[in-house]
Amino acid sequence: MQSANMLLRKIVRSSVLPFAAQHGIKKDLFPLSRTLSLSLCLKQDKSCEPSERLDLDEWKKVLKSGLQEEVSETVSKPKELSSLAAARETLEMWKLAGRAVPENISEEQLKTFMECPSKSAKKKYLKYLHLKELHKKNDKRKMEEKRERRLEAQASKTDETKKSPFICMWSSTMDKAYNWRAAQSMIFGQPLVFDMSYEKEMSVREVTNTVRQIVLSESCNRRSVDPFHIHFCNFKDDSLYHREFLKQYSEAWDKLLITVTDQCYTEIFPKDKLIYLTADSPKVMKTFDHDKIYIVGSMVDKSIKTGVSLARAKRLGLETAALPLEKYLLWNTGAKNLTLDQMMHILLTLKDTADWKKALEFVPKRKYCGFVNTPVKELKKTLDLINTLKLGKGREEVQKQFAKSYPKKYKLK
Amino acid sequence: VQPPGKPLQTEEWNKLRENFQSPEIFEEVMLNSMIRCNSPVDVAKSLLTHLAKRNGDIAYNMLVKYLTLCVQQGQVSEIHDVYHIMKVRFKILEAGAYKLLIKGLSNSDQWRMALTLLEEVKKIMIPSRTCYESCIKAASRHQEMKLAFELYDEMLAKDVVPTLNVLQSFFDFSRGMKDAELQKELFGILLYLRENQIYPHKTFMRSIKLWFESIPGGNWRGHLTSIKDSGQCPVCNHQLEDSNLTEEEYSNLSERIIRDVIHGADTFRKTSPQEFEAFQTFVENRLPFDIVIDGLNVSHIKPRRMQCENLFDAVNFLAKENARLLVLGRKHMLMNSSNWNREIMKEMQNKADFFFAENISEDDAFLLYATLRSGKHCKFVTRDFLRDHKACLPDSLTRHLFRKWQRGHQIVNMLYKILKKCFSSVLSQQPAFRYDCVVQTTGDTWHIPYKDVFEEKYSYQVPRKWLCIQEK
Repeated sequence: MQSANMLLRKIVRSSVLPFAAQHGIKKDLFPLSRTLSLSLCLKQDKSCEPSERLDLDEWKKVLKSGLQEEVSETVSKPKELSSLAAARETLEMWKLAGRAVPENISEEQLKTFMECPSKSAKKKYLKYLHLKELHKKNDKRKMEEKRERRLEAQASKTDETKKSPFICMWSSTMDKAYNWRAAQSMIFGQPLVFDMSYEKEMSVREVTNTVRQIVLSESCNRRSVDPFHIHFCNFKDDSLYHREFLKQYSEAWDKLLITVTDQCYTEIFPKDKLIYLTADSPKVMKTFDHDKIYIVGSMVDKSIKTGVSLARAKRLGLETAALPLEKYLLWNTGAKNLTLDQMMHILLTLKDTADWKKALEFVPKRKYCGFVNTPVKELKKTLDLINTLKLGKGREEVQKQFAKSYPKKYKLK
Repeated sequence: VQPPGKPLQTEEWNKLRENFQSPEIFEEVMLNSMIRCNSPVDVAKSLLTHLAKRNGDIAYNMLVKYLTLCVQQGQVSEIHDVYHIMKVRFKILEAGAYKLLIKGLSNSDQWRMALTLLEEVKKIMIPSRTCYESCIKAASRHQEMKLAFELYDEMLAKDVVPTLNVLQSFFDFSRGMKDAELQKELFGILLYLRENQIYPHKTFMRSIKLWFESIPGGNWRGHLTSIKDSGQCPVCNHQLEDSNLTEEEYSNLSERIIRDVIHGADTFRKTSPQEFEAFQTFVENRLPFDIVIDGLNVSHIKPRRMQCENLFDAVNFLAKENARLLVLGRKHMLMNSSNWNREIMKEMQNKADFFFAENISEDDAFLLYATLRSGKHCKFVTRDFLRDHKACLPDSLTRHLFRKWQRGHQIVNMLYKILKKCFSSVLSQQPAFRYDCVVQTTGDTWHIPYKDVFEEKYSYQVPRKWLCIQEK
């Protein structure tokens, strides 16, 4: 290459320069044009090279060669597929295309998938299954890691006997204590009603979520110092709720220390004692009343159905109330309706402490910016400051005040 | 990552790959950026060769990505090759690959293959609207109008909504053709626009105009114009269709509103049966009204003023013309407060009928009921777009009826004028439209409203520009 360059340079020098000088071409332009022509030459050199050695369609050959054996296989397979198999096939292709699709899918899930009314519903369902699968896998992995760590720890530890003044409290003992409390609450406790009449308003997924939330709230109620006496009212046997509860609790369902009835709360309790809790209520709850019976609607509302529970309370002529979220929290985003277990936590805390601030700690943090707890005096101060800045008068006064409070950092001119 | 400008050797790819932060996805990222930069196909080929050498196989998603690049550059022979490879390798393909193949092949002279592919897609799913679009465009480009219309009808039968592009291409490609059947089909498209209240955009409108003017034998002339407020076309002096609904549509709509909007699944959600009954008897005893006013909505027009003063001004203004007014409000308005003065409220009640709903009831539902019950001449005043009530209606047909009725009967302009100026300077109240803003025909004339730009921002805005076509 170098020699070629040399050669070129020689040619250029010998022939073109005098020619250029004759025709009055500026000298400083010349080196530029020379390098240009040279680099062009170089580029051509290189781009010609690979096309000689590189077969661009080689990949096709590779792919096709790998096929020969497979082709004979596919031919022997029956061409007509059942709809289930076809769905499985589609899923397989989606997986290959890199979409969010679960690794394994059961027959039942496949059927649900096929019954989805639209493409987007199908996609959503698969994504849900995919995420569920991922979570499960992660949990399993973590469990295994934990077990390994435990085994290691056990191996390294010598078997010295622990001496402790307390008897080891097994969970069964705790359970007995909790159950004792729950049993007491069934006789003396304040009733809390879950209204189970929203099944028609919800999809299957929503019912599942509802039951999950109720299970959580029941467990936190059982563990509390002074549990509520939980009532499931309007509960129909063999309803979706019932089936889901059986799935969640299995045999424990019959041993739960709660009251389950198909009666309405209005049949069990005096009407004037009932208060229906709903976020749509125009009335705001001020204090927790120990003599009242609060009703919580067992409903998860993923689509927007405002006023469903308010309508129910209106129909029965019951008093309603909403939590004073606005009053105590600087609301940020999200709907004002809370999950059932959050409601349970809030009600339990209210019952025990009557402290709104403590109770509303259970509202998810993402939904609010902070508590409205600045004293009035401070609020007034900031308001004054804003006013003076806005109106422009008394700026010096503000500066002076500022200088007083931060004497070292700030100097008046 | 910047894709290289020329094909690379396997070793060079390996080097690049090693320098890349996560080598497992190197090829994927590289192909993606090639698609983005529209790199030459040869470069992508060299990457695939490198991949094939390394793994002995190329994954499906990589093939699809390569296909995207080929389609982007219209490399027909490559698309063919990829299709053959895919077909042998996989029993069926997935929607994305089919879409690309159909799009790529429909633009080539082998567009008929796109049609066979479409058939293949139909076996496993409903083809997307873009698949249909490619095929229809290809067919009409090759003057196979019959085939194109077959596909179009099939698409409509499957509830796949055609793109405006497809509709436009029909007009573009049948320019100057003399064929009664074809003409009928194209009129059918215009009626489709009418039924679905779709407004063509400017270029689409131009295609329609050109097609009309190109019909051999027909003496059609098109003019761009805007319609007078009276609903008369300045070009041909034709009176546009009335915005009023027909008797049947009207009774249908009022029935639906009572059933689906006011009662819905549960009457208690918006009102209560007792209250609704009371309202019904109230309205029946005082029928008919000329104007129904949403009191609370109107009272918020000027935020600095007392709310009852706002309402008072509006009522005074509307009462001048001897109209029978009904003001809907809530019970809290009767309580003497800083915003609601008892004296002023009393004075107003001499000029108009008032109905006060419970504080937790929805007064909009009452507004709709009272207006519909009063008859076709009755208008209502609110700034609310009533979208949530429209959404309660179950099918698109009734929703269109609602929209049409709303356009003809809702007075909003007046309120906005009030906002800008003071009351006294507003002399006439304007109902939104006296004429119906849809594609319409009388046989020898066509009037087609159109949008200036492709993307009109607001769905409630109706185009003011029209294409007037008449046969001479």
